[in-house]
Amino acid sequence: MVEKRPGLTLLRHLVLIAGILVIGLPIWVALVATTHPSSAFLTDLMPLWFGDQGLGNFTRVLTNEERVLGVEVSASWMLWNSFVMAMVIAVGKIVISMLSAFAIVYFRFPLRRTCFWLIFVTLMLPVEVRILPTYDVVASLGMLNSYAGLTLPLIASATATFLFRQFFLSIPDSLAEAARIDGAGPMKFFRDILLPLSINNIAALFVILFIYGWNQYLWPLLVTTDEDYYTIVMVIKRLMTAGEGNVPWNVIMTTTVLAMLPPVLVVMVMQKFFVRGLVEQEK
Amino acid sequence: MATVSLKNIKKVYGNGLVAIHDLNLDIADGELIVLVGPSGCGKSTSLRMVAGLETISEGELSIDGVRVNDREPAQRDIAMVFQNYALYPHMTVAGNMGYGLKNQGMAKAEIRQKVEAAARMLEIEPLLSRKPGQLSGGQRQRVAMGRAIVRNPKVFLFDEPLSNLDAKLRVQMRIEIKRLQQEFGTTAIYVTHDQVEAMTLADRLVVMNDGRVEQVGPPLALYERPATRFVASFLGSPGMNFLSVTHDQGRLYLPDGRSLALPEPIEVAPGQALTLGVRPEHLEICAEADADLVLEVEIVEPLGADTLVYGRLPGHDDLMVVKHQGKHGEARGDRVPLRLDRERLHLFDADTRRRLPDGVPDGARPPNPGV
Repeated sequence: MVEKRPGLTLLRHLVLIAGILVIGLPIWVALVATTHPSSAFLTDLMPLWFGDQGLGNFTRVLTNEERVLGVEVSASWMLWNSFVMAMVIAVGKIVISMLSAFAIVYFRFPLRRTCFWLIFVTLMLPVEVRILPTYDVVASLGMLNSYAGLTLPLIASATATFLFRQFFLSIPDSLAEAARIDGAGPMKFFRDILLPLSINNIAALFVILFIYGWNQYLWPLLVTTDEDYYTIVMVIKRLMTAGEGNVPWNVIMTTTVLAMLPPVLVVMVMQKFFVRGLVEQEK
Repeated sequence: MATVSLKNIKKVYGNGLVAIHDLNLDIADGELIVLVGPSGCGKSTSLRMVAGLETISEGELSIDGVRVNDREPAQRDIAMVFQNYALYPHMTVAGNMGYGLKNQGMAKAEIRQKVEAAARMLEIEPLLSRKPGQLSGGQRQRVAMGRAIVRNPKVFLFDEPLSNLDAKLRVQMRIEIKRLQQEFGTTAIYVTHDQVEAMTLADRLVVMNDGRVEQVGPPLALYERPATRFVASFLGSPGMNFLSVTHDQGRLYLPDGRSLALPEPIEVAPGQALTLGVRPEHLEICAEADADLVLEVEIVEPLGADTLVYGRLPGHDDLMVVKHQGKHGEARGDRVPLRLDRERLHLFDADTRRRLPDGVPDGARPPNPGV
């Protein structure tokens, strides 16, 4: 819509500014809070401008100096745990779903449709729904307190399989046929043709899945009792309850800002591919 | 350099649908065979069976005398040009053309040399480092041809390669394909639904309909002596006119009651229903007194060199078309007297839709055959 009426333009800007304030204010408060000593939060007035403790807060949280986090491991270690979990989940989901979509689209085998629908109905069964049986399986496989236990149950993914299936279906059959005539076997076709063509979709999915993996809370809470496997998201909630009235807001906000950074970085770096993967179809 | 032979080839789909009934064809070395027919006639399926992209349900396919039914496409030593070109969008033109050679394990330097040679021949050298997305339709078509040529296969297979091009380019590429095929002397099978393309390209034409071969032969022989009513209507533009006629004592009785004497006697039972076919270019506008038919004009299409006149016989439904040279100034509602070219009439059995036997073996008759 291209309308040039000053009143409308003003209104539009007001709405946009209001939106930015709504989203931006909490982030502002969090950022400001990372720079104050914990005593600054004992009054009713929340500080709205930066203090001078920023460097100190971040160092203390990252190294877990004076056990500020209430656990034995440092924030940097938990960031590493979160990173490993998010990466393994994102990469694992992409690998598994690409291969299964490849099988479903390009191979004729008995019960092919059944397989597809079986994968598809798991959309209705996210981890939260099947959490008890999944926990039981993971426990009996001895995978509690391990990276495998943290990631494996979250890897199988119907959404990504479905997305790749739709993308593969949009690739003309004649491309696969041309590759066959050119002497490319199925795996060669996958590697030489499908993989390079899917690169935008892979990037877009990676962004979504990395954030999905990073933000996991319930599942890590359940399968980890060993602090060595705690993730950064888990510990934020623990900090809220640990303080007994005297909530260490500066530590919480510092941890929160740290926990927000990697997803933000991933989005910023991958934004170009992300948009292209969701919008464009290479012809 | 190869012969291709199809013996009793049959294609039956899983649901029992028979796509090809008993296809027999022997293709000589260096011959360009065109499979032509309306969509759904099985021409593409036949080609894809030769390529190895469809399994052969029954029969035997040999290339150079070797049975290849069970060989993978890559092992048949064929190259195919697809209707949508099927170029790999993420590879450069050179990558596209060399992919097959790379899979054969050929050395990089040799691939480059072959790709460059083919590109030179097709005049696409400046495009070698571009991606297909940056090319025009005609250029993509050339790249697809190049991909087929570099492999130096025994057989070229073309699946409607020109149907995505505009009319002018199509004519240009048609000539190009013919030139290249003659230059290489490679056996080729070409599928199209365009009868002009078929007529101009083919050494021999295979007209297919409903999974069956209607007629095989050189294009002009099929034009002049179509074996069935289907072939008669399919070849030639605009299509042949058909009139229901009866025959009695050497005379044909036309639907409007007039009659004409046949130049040669035919042997059919008196009163048997026949179909008379006459091409639009073999109807002549004449004086009222000499007329066999009088056409009531409905539409006139002046094409410059020719004029097409569409109309009906008074009291009959079938639309007829006359093609005559130059401009004559007919208009809607005019009544145009027409004379049939006696030497170029085609008579078909109205029931079997086959050409009436006239005692002349196929192919042994000089051009301009009569009935």
